[in-house]
Formats: sequence, C-alpha cells, structure tokens
Amino acid sequence: MVKTAPDNAMASTRDAFAAALIEAASVDRRICLVSADSLKAARATAFAEKFPERVFELGICEQGAVAFAAGLAATGLIPVFCTYGCFITMRACEQIRTFVAYPGLNAKFVGLNGGIYGGEREGVTHMVFEDIGILRAIPRIEIVVPADAGQARKATHAIMNRPGPVYLRIGSGRDPVVFDDSTGFEFGKARPVREYGTDAAIFANGPVLKRAIIAADKLAGQGIKTTLVEVHTIKPLDIETIASVLRQTRAAVTVEDHNIYGGLGSAIAEVIAEHQPARLIRLGLQDVFPESGDAEQLLDHFGMGVQHICDAVHTLLARA
Amino acid sequence: MLIETARMLRRDIFTMIYQAGDGHPGAALSAVELLTALYFKVLRIDPSRPDWPERDRFILSKGHACPAWYAALARRGFFPVEWLPTLRKLGSPLQGHPDMKKTPGVDMTTGSLGHGIAIGAGMAAAARLLGKDYAVYVVTGDGELNEGIVWEAVQAAAHMQLGRLIVLVDHNGWQSCGRVEQVSGLTDIAGRFAAFGWHTQQIDGHDFEQILNAIETAQAERTRPSVIVAKTVKGKGIPFVENDNSWHKRVPTKAEYDTAMKFLGA
Repeated sequence: MVKTAPDNAMASTRDAFAAALIEAASVDRRICLVSADSLKAARATAFAEKFPERVFELGICEQGAVAFAAGLAATGLIPVFCTYGCFITMRACEQIRTFVAYPGLNAKFVGLNGGIYGGEREGVTHMVFEDIGILRAIPRIEIVVPADAGQARKATHAIMNRPGPVYLRIGSGRDPVVFDDSTGFEFGKARPVREYGTDAAIFANGPVLKRAIIAADKLAGQGIKTTLVEVHTIKPLDIETIASVLRQTRAAVTVEDHNIYGGLGSAIAEVIAEHQPARLIRLGLQDVFPESGDAEQLLDHFGMGVQHICDAVHTLLARA
Repeated sequence: MLIETARMLRRDIFTMIYQAGDGHPGAALSAVELLTALYFKVLRIDPSRPDWPERDRFILSKGHACPAWYAALARRGFFPVEWLPTLRKLGSPLQGHPDMKKTPGVDMTTGSLGHGIAIGAGMAAAARLLGKDYAVYVVTGDGELNEGIVWEAVQAAAHMQLGRLIVLVDHNGWQSCGRVEQVSGLTDIAGRFAAFGWHTQQIDGHDFEQILNAIETAQAERTRPSVIVAKTVKGKGIPFVENDNSWHKRVPTKAEYDTAMKFLGA
C-alpha cells in the first residue's frame, strides 16, 4: 500500500513544477521557458530572475508560442511552454500536432488549470476537460497527469528526461496533497495505490485520485475489497499492468477530472475491449459543460464525489 | 549562371508535378528566383552536412511550393536528383508538403500556412542564446499572411529585436480563390511589417541583382528583423501558366508539359 497524505493537506502543483524546472535548468543549459504572458500563472518569475536569457516572452499568443518553441527545439534547445491547459491544447492544437509532434521535436508543454478542479471558480473558459482526449489522438506526444505537488515535481524531472514532446497537466495552485512526500514517480508505470482485493478495480489520476483513495478505504471498511491503480502516464499507457489488474477483478471504475470521452476512461475501455474483458463504469464529467464554483463542490456536483465512486463500485458488483 | 539554374529548377518543378500527378505549379514557379539566389549564392550551408549546427536556416513557409525547394536542394547536392520523380509517392522522402525528418536539407516541416515566421523567430532567438551567428531565412507567400499567427510572430520578432531573421514574401498577388486584395483585402504588405517595427524593402522578385542586394542590406540590420517584399508573377517562366490562377493546383497534360519544356529550353 502506497503511503498517502492526511486528508486536508494542500500544496501547489504550479509551485512544484516551477521549482523542479529551476532544478532541471540548473544542470541542463538547453532548458528554456516559453511564456504567453503566463510567467506569473506558471509561478516562473523566480526562473526568469535566475535565467533571464532563457525566458522567451511572446505575449498572449499561444499558437505563436508553440511554433516559436518548435523553432527553439529544432536548434537543440529544450523549450518548456507553460500556460493554461485549455489554451495549449485547444488554441494551439495544430501547432503541437504539425510542428512539434510530427517532426518529433523535444518540446514540453505544461498545462495549468487541469480539469474542473483546477479551473474551479474561473469557469468553463479557463478549465480544460478535453486536453487528454485531444492529445491522445495525436501520435508521438506523451501525456502525464500527476496527482499532487510532490508528484508534479518528480514528473517534471521525468519528462525533461524524455527524448520527445510531452504534455504535463497540473492544477490551480490550490491542490490536495495525495501522496506522502517520499513517494516516487516512475514514468510510464501504472501504480497500485490500494490493494484490498479483487472485487473491483478503480483507475484514477490527478487530484481526484485523493477521492478514489478515500472511496477505496471506505469500501474496504464495508467489506468490499478493491484494487486502486493510479494511471499518471496516459500515453504511453501501461497496458500490461492495467490488463493484469482487470484479469483479476473483471470489473472497473475509472475516475478522472476530464470528460468521460477521450481520457482515462476511454483508455481503460480500449484495454478492456482489446485485452481483457471487464465490466466498466466511467466517472468524470458526463459530457456536459460545468460552471464556476468551489473546487471540491464542483467535483461533488459533477459526479466525481467519494459517494459516486462507492456507488459505482456497488452498481458494478450488483451487475456481476 | 543563376538565370540558367532558375530555368533548370523550373524544368524540375514542372516535371515533378507532371510525374506526381499532383501539386501546386503556380506557387512553386513564382518562388524560383528567391530560392535560386538563396541556395546558390546566399546560404551558408554544406550539402554533405545537412545538420551542420552553424548552417544558415531556411524555412519555406509556403510549403505547397516545395517542388521548388526539393529541386533546389537536389541541384545543390543535398540528395540525388533521381529522388525528384518520387514526389508524393508512397515511401518517398519527398512528401507532398515538406517533412524535416524525411528530407535532407529541410530545416522545418511546413505546409499548414502561416507558421514560418514564428518558427524562424524561435530559431533566430536560439542562435542568440547559443552564441551562434547563423541567419534564418523564411520564404512566405502573400496569401498566407492572412493567418493570425503571422502577426503574432511579426510582433514578437520585432519586440525581441531578432535582426538575424530575414523574411522574403513571394508576393505573386494570388491565393487559392483569387487575387489577394479581393479575397482578403491584403494590401501594403511592407507598410504592415513597418508598423510592427520591421526593416522593409520592396523589390522585383525575379531580378537576381535586386534580390541579392536586398538580402545584403537585410543582413546588415542587427536589431530589426527584415522583410523583403518580392513582387513576383505566379507561374513565372511558362507563358500559359503565368498569372492564370487555375494553375494554383493543377497537373499539366502531356501536350502542356511538352510545350512548357520547350519554353524552358529543354
């Protein structure tokens, strides 16, 4: 069982990313930061003070920023472009696909405000719940959704060591701590977080993993033994681990702060369809537009509450 | 010498499109003098080392004109001339639009319009950070200046004072559906760049002396990015193709091909 954090602990994924970027850039002179007037949002002003010549400010133009980053990467630099995930993956989608992923250039993208939890009070325009689906459809780009600040820090180092383009989804800066700080991060590996038994599997990632942990613990108290697996790397997907858990449980619930189309739920459904048949319920945004609100209330309201997870497991077991 | 080379590239272009059964002859033919001047006179390049870090960078933002680029690269020795007939065929290193991973000498994948200046700006900024003195040349169409990303990059490049970025606009006056002024209201290209703080020049894009002089002047600029608006003729060099926009994307018949080759001195 992976050691997890107290329920109310909070830490900023944005600050964790920014700190890791300074660490990485201190040892690798190729690493630079591309900004679309997003230095403050990225918590990267300290980076800019330390490495002023390695910051490229484009102004508010995400398409231009991604194409510019492609130019940097084509010369051997490692640009990291950080702004809201919605603007990276939707406004600059084609630039990522055609000028970074297609030529396989080594550029990194860090999307802030992931999910409705990350976007919270900002409302739909500044949330992103389509990013994983959009990028999963693009060949060659890798996708990581860390659960919390400590994981974001380690994931930042991990993606800087990848040879090609990677998207890292982080949050608002008001993010729950999910894991004990000693917890490692291994790129590309799905990780069992709770292994109570084989009644059902729960697959989750991002900050909502916290709720999945609480749900798995609660279910265990009721005598329902689940295996909870964190799938922080969505692409490449750790099909082997996922299929091996499914083989034992034959039932799965997915929990993600993303539309149920295109993201983790879809990825697990593909594994189920092609590798290991199982019953499945996908929790997440149920193909509706959410709204502004308190982050925790939003998740509860839009079907990602602890009770929703428990109910989904009960429903699955009743279908057996 | 350059005039003869340009004529050879035009023969290559028309032959490639004829053999491929697909392509954009008009846009490729208008850019021939610009590419000839760059590849046979201006660019600091070494065909035996296409990834030489000190090389000048070149981006063909109007990627659909790539038969002209492929012909220039082949004739300059980046790859065998025998590759040219494979254009747009399965397994060919010569894609329908340029792919930097498949074609030696292609510094950037292009085809989706409007991206060359933004990418070139990144390359020029990288040169400054890395302490390299290479220049970045971008050939863009005029129609593609409709794209918003062009002006994002034009603003950023001026703000960053990227003096080693030199953009040549192949101003042939046409885009897919008609005259640029009629389709999109694009006028006074030099004035638009000047308003963003660029160094601007306007020349005849088929006159080698003017092209080379303008590039030399642009090279002397150290803090402002430069644009050279080169007035050209779409389809230049083949009389029945010139200024006939039906040749934007069109394949010659056997008779048209034979006639064109006679005009081009084959």
